[in-house]
Amino acid sequence: MNGSDTTEQGVVFDMKGLHVFYGDFPAVRDISLQVRTNDITAFIGPSGCGKSTVLRALNRMNDLIPGARIEGQVLYHGQDLYAAGVDPVEVRRRIGMVFQKPNPFPKSIYDNVTFGPKLAGMDADLDDVVEDSLQRAALWDEVRDKLDQSAMALSGGQQQRLCIARAIATKPDVILMDEPASALDPIATQRIEELMFDLKRDYSIVVVTHNMQQAARVSDRAAFFNVDVREDGARTGVLVEFDSTDKIFTNPNRKETEDYITGRFG
Amino acid sequence: MTGRRRFHEQLDDLEHLVIEMGHSAEAQVGRAVNALVTADLDEAGVVIARDLELDQMYLDAHRQWLVVSAEQQPVAGDLRLLVALLHMVVTLERMGDQAVNIAKVTRSVIHLPMSEGVLEVIQEMGDLVRPMIRTALDAFLQRDVELAQTLPSLDDPVDRLNGEIYERVLACDFGDQGLQWGVRMIMVARALERVGDQAVDIGEQVAFLLTGELVEFSQFDDD
Repeated sequence: MNGSDTTEQGVVFDMKGLHVFYGDFPAVRDISLQVRTNDITAFIGPSGCGKSTVLRALNRMNDLIPGARIEGQVLYHGQDLYAAGVDPVEVRRRIGMVFQKPNPFPKSIYDNVTFGPKLAGMDADLDDVVEDSLQRAALWDEVRDKLDQSAMALSGGQQQRLCIARAIATKPDVILMDEPASALDPIATQRIEELMFDLKRDYSIVVVTHNMQQAARVSDRAAFFNVDVREDGARTGVLVEFDSTDKIFTNPNRKETEDYITGRFG
Repeated sequence: MTGRRRFHEQLDDLEHLVIEMGHSAEAQVGRAVNALVTADLDEAGVVIARDLELDQMYLDAHRQWLVVSAEQQPVAGDLRLLVALLHMVVTLERMGDQAVNIAKVTRSVIHLPMSEGVLEVIQEMGDLVRPMIRTALDAFLQRDVELAQTLPSLDDPVDRLNGEIYERVLACDFGDQGLQWGVRMIMVARALERVGDQAVDIGEQVAFLLTGELVEFSQFDDD
């Protein structure tokens, strides 16, 4: 594993021995990796390997699940995300999230984008926020004349870009994406991937994907998670290998990684 | 999963085809040297005719390679295997072309005076390069990087004999026609020297396949 070489690039997340439990059940065990600023970091691995759990640990989304708790540390710009006194709402403002299924609110396009800034009581011209966020999400040209129309009338790909605009509107520096294109057709997928490239100039992106080629295409570094099955049948997610995407997809160090990405599993 | 299983069957098929090309190339080189040394025009004709089979295998392998790559978008070890296979396909086709070159020389020198001593060197070179081809194929089949790394040392005597050919030809004293023959023997030696290099190339591809590093074996010559 080679997750610690961070020459000349800042570190946005530093996970140190992270365990996530749902009740007594360890969903993921002993994850240590560093996410670099302005990188696209991909989490890959089979279902149940804990990659989404680790992603959600990065903005405390697991807090919303009863009985969920963590051990170890998640440092965000060197600060412990789970320290006493850290406001999870503020965490989620700075660390935005986009989900698998586009989930716009049943409101106007304009209200979708301004929802977060209003909630956070941000002091900004909302019209500017809307234009800037939609521009950054590569949606402005398509919706500038219908901002008062319902977001639900947009296509799936447009809805997903609206969700990205909504995440951007609260001025985060990280965008977490959980399978952001898996519900989209190839053209909409390509637009999201191009958008990710544009966004990484200003944001750090962590993306969970089941699409190996997508991980290979878009990410700078890739983490491969797998399921560790204990003798008693308990299944826990573990980090197998974390390295540059070039390395992972041409010559991974671990046989488990090779077997997974080349389809020699099961 | 069927898609992936089919992929690995496609890879196996392609690998078998490349090995078949290797055996064909090796036989062609042996046949070409034998035809020259024994002045057997029929056998030289066989070499030229059989090259069409090797060319056909080359085209088939190339087509299969394209299909597998387009359909499966391979990564990691699969990707390295495909890259190595394509390199080998090209290399083996060119090896076959060297055998044809020798066969054509055989036809063109049949009426010229010749030197037994020079032919002995050609025979010796042929006897050295054929096992090199086999070693390269074995290293590939057995995924044996250490075996692949023995190829440069097997190639050294081939290079030395290629250098000796010049001296031998110059030492011959049989007039203009003899000189014509001698110059063509220099071409034959050069062809066999290339075959040796090509076997080393295949060894380098085996090392790349297994280690992910593409290294010219000749870099180790000075060790």
